[in-house]
Amino acid sequence: MLMTEGIWVWIAGVLTLAIYSFLYKDNPLYKIAEYIFVGLSAGYWAVYLFWNFAYPNLFEPLVIEGNYWNIIPIVLGFMMFTQLSRRSAWLVRFPLTFVLGVSLGLQLIAAVEGDLVPQIIGTFSPFSKGTLFHTYDTWTSIGYIALLVGVLSTLVYFFFSREHKGVFGGIARTGVFYLMIAFGASFGYTVMARISLLFGRVYFVFHDWLGIIR
Amino acid sequence: MRLKIPLAIIFVMGIFSIVTHFIPAKPIADLNQTLRNWYIGIISFFIFLGTVNLARSNSEKIKTKARDWQYSIILIISLFVMLVAGFYKGHTSMEEGKPFMYLYFNVQYPLESTMYSLLAFFITSAAFRAFRARNKEAVLLLVAAVVVMLGRVPIGAAMWHGFPDVTEWIMSFPNAAAKRGIRLGIDLGLISMALRMILGIERSYMQ
Amino acid sequence: MSAFGRIQNLDRRIIFLTVAAAVILPLFFPFRLPVAVTAPVQQLYDVIEGLPAGSVVLISMDYDPSGAPELDPATLSIMRHCFSRDLRVFVMGLWATGVPLGMRALETVAVGEYHKQYGVHFVNFGYIPGGAIALVNLGADVHDVCREDVYGTPASEIPMMEDIKSAADFGLVISMSMGVPGSDQWIYYYHARYRGNLATAQTAIGAPKYYPYLQTGQLVGLIGGMKGAAEYERLVGNYGLATVGMDSQSSAHVLIILFVVLGNVIFWMEKRRKK
Repeated sequence: MLMTEGIWVWIAGVLTLAIYSFLYKDNPLYKIAEYIFVGLSAGYWAVYLFWNFAYPNLFEPLVIEGNYWNIIPIVLGFMMFTQLSRRSAWLVRFPLTFVLGVSLGLQLIAAVEGDLVPQIIGTFSPFSKGTLFHTYDTWTSIGYIALLVGVLSTLVYFFFSREHKGVFGGIARTGVFYLMIAFGASFGYTVMARISLLFGRVYFVFHDWLGIIR
Repeated sequence: MRLKIPLAIIFVMGIFSIVTHFIPAKPIADLNQTLRNWYIGIISFFIFLGTVNLARSNSEKIKTKARDWQYSIILIISLFVMLVAGFYKGHTSMEEGKPFMYLYFNVQYPLESTMYSLLAFFITSAAFRAFRARNKEAVLLLVAAVVVMLGRVPIGAAMWHGFPDVTEWIMSFPNAAAKRGIRLGIDLGLISMALRMILGIERSYMQ
Repeated sequence: MSAFGRIQNLDRRIIFLTVAAAVILPLFFPFRLPVAVTAPVQQLYDVIEGLPAGSVVLISMDYDPSGAPELDPATLSIMRHCFSRDLRVFVMGLWATGVPLGMRALETVAVGEYHKQYGVHFVNFGYIPGGAIALVNLGADVHDVCREDVYGTPASEIPMMEDIKSAADFGLVISMSMGVPGSDQWIYYYHARYRGNLATAQTAIGAPKYYPYLQTGQLVGLIGGMKGAAEYERLVGNYGLATVGMDSQSSAHVLIILFVVLGNVIFWMEKRRKK
């Protein structure tokens, strides 16, 4: 198998077991593996960021193409490092407010355009195509009614400016039921994800490393 | 200067990126594109800063012989090894068959995926000890979880052929309704927070 | 301590052992139950079936090794589907840690199985930093964001890139995603501006969140976790790791449900005893 031959597959195998040793109890072997991981990951991101972005998109255009505008993000970028010293830490506000300004403006538009509007339309649109039960099958029609009730009641539940009492309280309680179903579903999916990961490692141990199964 | 200029920057940039979204003229679109490229440039330094910070705090630990300082040596060595592997042959250091990739696939990959797979054990133990049908809400949560767990694996369909359909219905309607409600709430929060920051009302990030 | 109490306080390492057994044993004694295909996976398959030959499919590797057991099989199956239909594949990633996984998948499928040519039928631009903001720029001008591919070749020297200028040139975008930045950013920042077909493959943890977007048509397909990948493997007729994993997945789910039931039986018995 690609890149998992010879000595390397043994390294991967031993490290896998080192992490699993934590299941028995915390121990130095696990800690060593953990620190190796953090160190390697940090190095990894820095390398990729440099070769895949900083070099071709920032430095190369500046040095080779003479795009002097690129000095601005580079200088602002280096200003990030001023926070390493207490005296100059305030300088970080310049790059910080620049990136926040750009991203918050876009975030505001994205929340409206990419989520609020289409999601609200989506909640009501099934009801605009003629009689619900004539357009869709029974379970889908019931589903769309449940969807509408669920979205509204969940929103009511999150509305804390009014006390959850009477009719309002009843609607909020319906919202809680929806939330519980959704959390249950998410729990089921989380279990699924964790087991898949474990399977991935078990398969590695018995197939790629030990070669016991094919 | 220390406060007013940063507040002016966030205000101008924020308003500019909102207003110009509705002006499709090419020069403005080009300017926006450039500003966003600068954004990407600046935030990439965040990661470099993170790397430097990690190295700094761990060297500090070694110097002061703080608790578990021996492990910090391992961290620094790993970081150094990865950086050397990634830079020693220029851009080609990252090609397949080079040390950088071997380290990724045989050290970083197994460590990361194994670490997260530990959670499979803990989630089972937690489910056994804490997942109790104490009241109506908890019963709903439990039933939904069990149905979804069965509906999403082949053995569930073998037990009762209806499990996958019921699961799909739960996911598409009640689950989607709650997720949508939560998300709409988050959106409203994001919008008000973005406005407060752009207008300079919220300044706690400047600490 | 009562008998119930003793079970309740069972050493957790015994629970761990049963979990390990539930996942390992089916590897040696497989029972291979059929995998039913769900609508969101079928939808994605149908969209790819409907793309004309030569269309470009953007696959964004927005995950890392901890998402690989779930998302690698989906990536491989989608690539197989694309190349078998003579579609071209454009790979990039919002996570640096996904880049080698994309390289490996292309090596296996594009080169190893379909003998496709780099730069003509597929291309890999590696890591694109900047998340949401990068996607806004990508949709407007692909060349502005993707200046050099993962091997350092300028985009202008890659033949396939002559046909790819902006979002309009992608027949389909699929975000293989496990967090932020990922599908959220593709939906809110990219699709909201540039439209087109957008789909996602998610780790199971993320999947439930995306059902609302299927209903609105913002997503044209959703592959959820290893089960979703197993469904896609079935659709393309190439059974791989996800299909093999379904046995372990089945037995582990049953085990966990049994633990939940046992926990609750003890809980009720104790409650009655105390009364």
